Amino acid sequence: MEDYLPNEYDVVVVGTGMTESIVAAAASRIGKKVLHLDSDEYYGGLWATFNFDGLQKWIEDLKVSKSSAKDVSEVDLELEEKFLKTSNEYSTVENIEETWYISNDADLPVVSSKDTQTDSTGDGSGSGDEKSDDDKVEKKENVKQWSIDRIRKEYRKFNIDLAPKLLFARGELVELLISSNIARYAEFRAVSRVATFMDGKLTQVPCSRADVFANKTVSVVEKRMLMQLLTSCMEQGADSPEFDGFRDKTFLEYLNTKNLTPIVQHYVVQAIAMATEKTSCRDGVNRTKHFLNSLGRYGNTPFLWPMYGSGELPQCFCRLCAVFGGVYCLKRQLDGVVIHKNKCKAIISGKQRISLEHLVLGQGHLPPEVVASEGEQRISRGIFITDKSIMQGEKENLTLLYYPPEQPDQEPVTLIELGPSTNACPQGLFMVHMTCKRTTNAKEDLAYVVNKFLKAEPLDPLAIRSSIHSHTQTVSPDKRHIQEGDQDNREESTEESPKPQVLWSLYLNLPASDIKLNESTPSNLHLCSGPDLELDFDFAVNQAKSIFESMYPDKDFLPRAPDPEEIVLEGEEAPGPKFEGDTEAEEKQDVEKAEKED
Amino acid sequence: MEDYKFLFKVVLVGNAGVGKTCLVRRFTQGLFPPGQGATIGVDFMIKTVEVENEKVKLQIWDTAGQERFRSITQSYYRSAHALILVYDISCQPTFDCLPDWLREIEEYASNKVLRILVGNKIDREDREIPTHVGEDFAQRHGMYFLETSAKEAENVERLFMEIAAELMEQARSKELPRYETNTTSINGKTTSIGDTSNCGCSRLS
Repeated sequence: MEDYLPNEYDVVVVGTGMTESIVAAAASRIGKKVLHLDSDEYYGGLWATFNFDGLQKWIEDLKVSKSSAKDVSEVDLELEEKFLKTSNEYSTVENIEETWYISNDADLPVVSSKDTQTDSTGDGSGSGDEKSDDDKVEKKENVKQWSIDRIRKEYRKFNIDLAPKLLFARGELVELLISSNIARYAEFRAVSRVATFMDGKLTQVPCSRADVFANKTVSVVEKRMLMQLLTSCMEQGADSPEFDGFRDKTFLEYLNTKNLTPIVQHYVVQAIAMATEKTSCRDGVNRTKHFLNSLGRYGNTPFLWPMYGSGELPQCFCRLCAVFGGVYCLKRQLDGVVIHKNKCKAIISGKQRISLEHLVLGQGHLPPEVVASEGEQRISRGIFITDKSIMQGEKENLTLLYYPPEQPDQEPVTLIELGPSTNACPQGLFMVHMTCKRTTNAKEDLAYVVNKFLKAEPLDPLAIRSSIHSHTQTVSPDKRHIQEGDQDNREESTEESPKPQVLWSLYLNLPASDIKLNESTPSNLHLCSGPDLELDFDFAVNQAKSIFESMYPDKDFLPRAPDPEEIVLEGEEAPGPKFEGDTEAEEKQDVEKAEKED
Repeated sequence: MEDYKFLFKVVLVGNAGVGKTCLVRRFTQGLFPPGQGATIGVDFMIKTVEVENEKVKLQIWDTAGQERFRSITQSYYRSAHALILVYDISCQPTFDCLPDWLREIEEYASNKVLRILVGNKIDREDREIPTHVGEDFAQRHGMYFLETSAKEAENVERLFMEIAAELMEQARSKELPRYETNTTSINGKTTSIGDTSNCGCSRLS
């Protein structure tokens, strides 16, 4: 059965990703009538965060292709109207590969288990059909208390991001959250350290002035050098004459003229600017500036992480949209759009025709007719549940690591490691997210970094369980393939502390975020991209701003929403029971009144 | 500094039209709102009450209409100390939906959240759910139970005062769901309780 929705709106938004949600909130905030739909039963689309169970469902659902939209013949059209079917092909997730590196409770010795009662939580894939003998159990040692069953049982304690992103403390999103007063819906944790790989080991990058001066690996001369360089990036910016000779050169070429020592250069390039050999001088300076600008606002580093995951943030904007009257309906499919004389006039959803002034579409809901190019910035992701931190410290850390390519054909990888205090995982575990630009597939693209920092081999060869689903041709679903693959990658370890053991991993490829629309696309149809490759949300915020500006050029973008204390409710002056009379009529008045308010 | 010792987040859920907003407005403003339109732009309501000579600030969150098509954001449930599940005693379907709501609560709210089942609209003559049926349901699911009338202001004060008292009791015995106290709240406010002074991270705006 389908819910019946009112069928006239100023703005219809389809998809609850980051950009869509910001636009929805902004339109609702200035009093526009907004309908916000999503075909999924959860918020966020490719920006979503799931608990372990929810993620399993999401993976399952990808295997079942969604029911395709209806045909033109089924739609009642008026004269000169055109119906364009929407497609989900621009949000296709590929090369999903989920692997367990541990065994089921049934395989474990009874003594090891704290939670002896086994529960009946749905055991989706790979039932425990293999047996293990005592020898193998011995080898399990430190991970023996973590079994597949236990992870499944504690599913609620996981918050797993499809597209994990950080916020720069003075980035676009933080400023927007504060200025719009949406910040009250979310909580954040400061990233506690920025790490870098130097001289064969991971070290913490000194971020603050105090850190720099307390650092023992950098000499006094180097400290002065570093401060000087940073100051010039910070104060003068990329347009300063300082960088005149480097307009078409790389950041590295500029740094080379500064006679920096290797350590200082390493910090600046790899940790602060997060640059590669190819990064232009301009970008490098801007990135350095952005990093430094955000220092000292909230924690030790310039970054914040949203509690419960990145998927919370689109929801904060949705909440604001709803508070200002936006109508929300999940599990509601968009079938197509009705075009009349190069203007988008309505959408068809189920049996309903819903008319609109502006249509804002997430990239998973585009009619192929309006797409000019599918984009190239595709994303490889790896998600790992591990048993310890990549860089163990005295307290729990939230770590960001930028790892530059080792070979010319590799892409730089961003690694974010989350601990239990972010609600990403239960006590005793860590969640590692890796992201890079796609070249082949997620597993291959990330392999060099996985092998560097993690131990991604089954604890017990019999325990390995792998399920490979994909929408396109991909790695053969052969167990041996995976094991061999792992063994190929020689151990170069002999470092102090052993690498974290991976208990579970998931690889996937997300679609490109730089889809382009045709010139002939109706001007009231606005595209919202999926997650991009950048570390932060600024791309989405800026895209939302420009969409809003093109819709309502003279209006304020998300002005501050009042605090509850500031709202004087009508009737407050004359308290007392006031419900006599025709409630229905009053109800109507109230709605009208509220609509006029803005 | 604001003048209160405890701050608790209370959220309301339940089908559209059961009187969630009316309960909140009756309690916080002492009036029975005639229509739903008035909730536009109102996010949550605040009322400071006194329990055993301590000031307790209740932050009461409403669904913003997202329950209409069962599309409440998960983030709505985060960090809630108490959760009021409301049905309409004169409307069977609102009672039949309770298991669905419980499922959603299980999924997203803390498992230590204080749960209260409320049968609203006892002023109505056309009761469909007898009191004992509601009571039974609450008992089976480990919830407190109360019947109210937002219209007649019956049991509304009592509902929120008992929640405040119970949460205070729990806070003192440290049984309250513990939300991380050292998270950064970027606008300088925080919904967490207790002291945040030793968290080692700044709360700036």
